[in-house]
Amino acid sequence: MNSLTASAAIATGRVQLANVRQNALVTARLRALWIMLLFVFLALTACVRIAQLGLFEQTPERTSLAEALLPSRGEITDRNGVALARAFASYSLWYNPKALGEGGAPLVKTPEEVARALVGIFPDADYADLVTRLKAGKPCYLRRRVLPEDANKVFALGEPALEFPREEQRFYPQGSLAAHVLGYVDEAGKGHVGMEQVLEPRLLDPAYRGTPTALSIDARAQGALEDELGRGMMETMAKGAAGVILDADSGEVIALASLPSFNPNRSDLAYNDLVFNRVSNQVYELGSTFKPITIASAIDAGVITDLAVRYPAHPLQVGKFTIHDSHNFGASLNVPEALIHSSNVVTAQVADKLGPVALKRTMEQLGMNERPTIELPARGFPLWPHGGGEGGKGDWARLTTMTVSYGHGIAVTPLHLASAYAALVNGGLWRPATLYKVDPAHLPPGRRVFQASTSARLRQLLRMIVADGTGRKADAPGFRVGGKTGSAEKPGSGGYRKTSLIATFAAAFPMDKPRYVVIVMLDEPQATQQTSGQRTAAWNAAPIVGRLVPRIGPMLGVVPDAHHDVDISDLSPLVGSGDGE
Amino acid sequence: MMVSANRFRSIGWIALLLVCAAGVMVLAFRVNALRSQVHRTEQQIIALRKEKLYLETEVETRANQQQLKLWNDVEFGYVAPTAGQYLANERQLAAFAKPDGPDAPAPIRVASADDAVAAEAAFPSVLSDLAGAADIAAPVAASDEGEKAAARPADAAERASATANLGARLAMVTPLKKDGKDKPGKHKAGKSDKARDGDRKAGLAKSAKADAARPGKGAKLAAGKAEARPGKSAKSTKPAPKAAKGGSKTAP
Repeated sequence: MNSLTASAAIATGRVQLANVRQNALVTARLRALWIMLLFVFLALTACVRIAQLGLFEQTPERTSLAEALLPSRGEITDRNGVALARAFASYSLWYNPKALGEGGAPLVKTPEEVARALVGIFPDADYADLVTRLKAGKPCYLRRRVLPEDANKVFALGEPALEFPREEQRFYPQGSLAAHVLGYVDEAGKGHVGMEQVLEPRLLDPAYRGTPTALSIDARAQGALEDELGRGMMETMAKGAAGVILDADSGEVIALASLPSFNPNRSDLAYNDLVFNRVSNQVYELGSTFKPITIASAIDAGVITDLAVRYPAHPLQVGKFTIHDSHNFGASLNVPEALIHSSNVVTAQVADKLGPVALKRTMEQLGMNERPTIELPARGFPLWPHGGGEGGKGDWARLTTMTVSYGHGIAVTPLHLASAYAALVNGGLWRPATLYKVDPAHLPPGRRVFQASTSARLRQLLRMIVADGTGRKADAPGFRVGGKTGSAEKPGSGGYRKTSLIATFAAAFPMDKPRYVVIVMLDEPQATQQTSGQRTAAWNAAPIVGRLVPRIGPMLGVVPDAHHDVDISDLSPLVGSGDGE
Repeated sequence: MMVSANRFRSIGWIALLLVCAAGVMVLAFRVNALRSQVHRTEQQIIALRKEKLYLETEVETRANQQQLKLWNDVEFGYVAPTAGQYLANERQLAAFAKPDGPDAPAPIRVASADDAVAAEAAFPSVLSDLAGAADIAAPVAASDEGEKAAARPADAAERASATANLGARLAMVTPLKKDGKDKPGKHKAGKSDKARDGDRKAGLAKSAKADAARPGKGAKLAAGKAEARPGKSAKSTKPAPKAAKGGSKTAP
């Protein structure tokens, strides 16, 4: 019985156990199924994702190499590829009052302390202005362009509210060099004043802005010109100075400077009176530098056939007006002497013989009656003397012809003069000045103003002025400089002012085969110790050329040679010695 | 039997299809992997170019014309070269040579297998590129050598290269340093002739001895000396033939 009960008990237990086992197995299978399904799902998802990534995935917003490196505004370089203006991601100083969270003081220190520290880093910053901006608690730029080392110093102040976002801005690595040629770009990204304005469509065009635009400027010559002009201006305490170096054959502007200049990197400060370009925009009576043009016109027209002919040098009475010379040069002068001593009287007589028609035609052919031909937007209109007849378009009066012959009564820009001198020495072809690089094989045709023989004669005469005449201080040894001084009194109320002069030196070198024309002009130079107490161009403008030419000559491919020179042996017997204006 | 063969074939086709699909898959994966690698490299290039531009701009800014001028004013004081520092043609260069003194021996010429030495010794038409006169003199040299050149084009080419080398040599500074051993400039300056002769004698004797041990060097040294001092006195040149002899032993 015992065994029966035991077996029965076991039997029932077995049945129950079998059920339990069954149930457990089903549950386990179900669970395994679920887990397997989960795994399968995960595996499928992974596979699909892998396939998607491996087969179809394209990188988002894929940009080509060229596109990514395309600057926001095209680069401007000089003729040798030196960067003059470039789009550049530079640091700005941005004030973010919410950097330390909403509420509470935006700065760790007091605004006054922070402002003082900032003035210590940026000495030209305005302390009061900084304090007001920091106190106002509004996000703003504290400074637009910050050097990395200054940014580090500001970072060291430990103010989280001062941030340095890097923004693409216009940057001029050469600072104020060629500022008037380049101009500047304002905060809205618009170009002003110079080639930034002229080239704007090209600089912004995605098709072109990837390649730098080369100008005709040579940065080294530009640096030398600005340096020497600045020195000359300082020595003579002049109000301003202007200079231009022109390629005599192609008309390319190698350097163009107007002092005092401005810094295009500070576009916020750039817009002021200094953006005014004295070379292309301001017209001056350039005085005696016009005499070679008159003489060339007379030789060309056959009025001067014999340079030995002497003209009386006494003051010349024309109507109510008397034409004087700066000194008394004796009873008579021939043409080479008149140029060497810069005689107004003789030049006026030559112009009188030449007549108004021919002189006016020459001046017109040299472009003296229209704005200078150059790409710059600011170009001054010459003060062109009125002629007789309807609307002043007729012939000039006799006196007008005479005064124009020595550069009075006509006011042009220094750039006009540079182009005219290029035509004077390069064989007689006038070409427009340009700031674009010109391929020597594709020169513009040019306009013939003088015969080649006239140009050759003028090269001799200009060389003589520097070798023996008023331009002696411009005679850089070995560079065969030729040129003409010009010192014109500035017109003021009630006539010309004796002490306010425009001193100009118009030169070209090397005279045996002129390559470059150099014009240097000083606005109201004073008589100082450096200029031996003189105000005239022979003492202030000519020495600038004398120092400038040896600096730029070798860079521009002109080798100084003491054994070469233009042959003046047929003219030197005609000349005595003396001084002029 | 037919059925199983058909089935076998279709299984085979399916297997092939699967293998191909797997292959295409692998290929596609690899292509895309490579593509993203290229993309990453492009990104790196862009970043590096930007960095380069940044550094370039920084250097240009620090070395702008005004800054260079300031440095020059304060530190260096360089001035533009004067007319006297340029040579226009070989005549001007020759004008610097010292004329031969009385009883001067003929310049010693040494055979050498080294083309460069031969080209230097040949000293073809001397022209400075600086003066821009190279193009004038090149035809002159060519016409002088006209007949020979036709016969031996290799020689003409060598001469042409030597001319070019000379232009380059005149324009460069380094070759002068290389020739510094001979110090022709030092002999010109200062010291009295007697003292110099003594120095030279001792020096040459020493070099002649050394040449016996290393004859190859002697050839060059002697050639250099002959070039450097064509006008030396008879007395001082005594050891020179020895040196030349030592050199000529090795010369083929």
